[in-house]
Amino acid sequence: MAEKPVKKNWRQRLTAWVDGEREFKDRSLFVMEQRSSVTFRRPTEEEHERREKHRLRWFLNRYPIGAGLLGLTLVAVLMAVVLTMPPFGQPDNPMHNEVAQRYLERGYEETGAENIVTAMILNYRGFDTLGESCVLFLAVAAVMILVLQDKKNTNKQDLAQRAREDTLLKSHQDTILKQAARILVPVLFLFAIYMLLNGERSPGGGFSGGTVLGAGLILSSLAFGAGRVQALLTRRVYSAVRTFGLLLYAGLYGVNIFLGANGLPNYLTGMTMLIDLAVGLVVACTIYGFFALFSRGEL
Amino acid sequence: MGRGNIMLETVLQNRYAVTAVILFGIGFLNVMLQQNLVKKVVGFNIMDAAVFLLLASLGYISGRVAPVVTEGAQAAQYINPIPSGLVLTGIVVSVSITAFSLALIQRIYQQYGTIDLRELRERTGKEDD
Repeated sequence: MAEKPVKKNWRQRLTAWVDGEREFKDRSLFVMEQRSSVTFRRPTEEEHERREKHRLRWFLNRYPIGAGLLGLTLVAVLMAVVLTMPPFGQPDNPMHNEVAQRYLERGYEETGAENIVTAMILNYRGFDTLGESCVLFLAVAAVMILVLQDKKNTNKQDLAQRAREDTLLKSHQDTILKQAARILVPVLFLFAIYMLLNGERSPGGGFSGGTVLGAGLILSSLAFGAGRVQALLTRRVYSAVRTFGLLLYAGLYGVNIFLGANGLPNYLTGMTMLIDLAVGLVVACTIYGFFALFSRGEL
Repeated sequence: MGRGNIMLETVLQNRYAVTAVILFGIGFLNVMLQQNLVKKVVGFNIMDAAVFLLLASLGYISGRVAPVVTEGAQAAQYINPIPSGLVLTGIVVSVSITAFSLALIQRIYQQYGTIDLRELRERTGKEDD
């Protein structure tokens, strides 16, 4: 007696599929495939190319409409979500839960940093910030791979052109920029150091202080010529500082983890400042590195 | 009438979120529709800015100050510090991505002499032959 094929609805079929049943649901598909292999003729190269071009044109003609519709749908969905959001700035929004309260209440005594944002990113969530520093480090490395011009990939033509550009820049010096930089650069460096060292007590910290430090380096490089900064910050020194910053962070945070990662002992409360300094070094090197690599292709 | 009023009120209350959504849409369409690669990167940055705006506005509580604790103050006087930290993470990633894509675009320009997608498509097609 042949087994009667059981008709299943879509739900049963889905359950069977999830359970791992393997059967050909639609036999006609199978048959068609067999038959077509007999009659199927390989298209010639020309035909294939024409078909591909046709398909590409078909796609490109419809692409803007599809993209626009997709964007509008996205905005509409997001707007619908915004309409159901809790009102702005109310203290009892679900966003402000016990985690934030705990950081605010115990942050100072547990980490020794009065700026709770600094306490949070460098102590409670220090691993996250370590990852960020690694991202910056790797970004500079990747840009270096892509645009660095050194002995191996420059020829005489490039060198001659660079020399020409240098002489052109030297003969057309910007007096306003130079005088402004003479006043601004020391202030910038001072402010950057203040921000780096005072990040745990006031707004600021490693990231903003490092950015200001990098901006000071960029400004002095623009105003006094790239050579002046390069003499101080050769590629070797640059790499060493960058790596030192990351390693310092990793080491300090490793110590933090070893000591329980749960509130620092009293003799280590200044550690947040050191970590801030390490982050600042990485960030400053990153900002200056991007500028140097993009403007001249060398460090 | 009443329903419309409530909706308008919600939109006005969550104006930062609404602005963020609009900015996100502008950035998204820029990324999708621009033919110039640098403009695509600009669109990406607009999207980033929208996300930062949304996060920063979520952490704000009316009438409270930045979370730098002083002695004798209550936790109820400060805004939520968590979104501020998350924005920081976002900015770092955004800067890195921007630099990396600009470097790639520079290389593309050196190789093909254009950063327009249509021309790029033609030139890469020719190179294959």
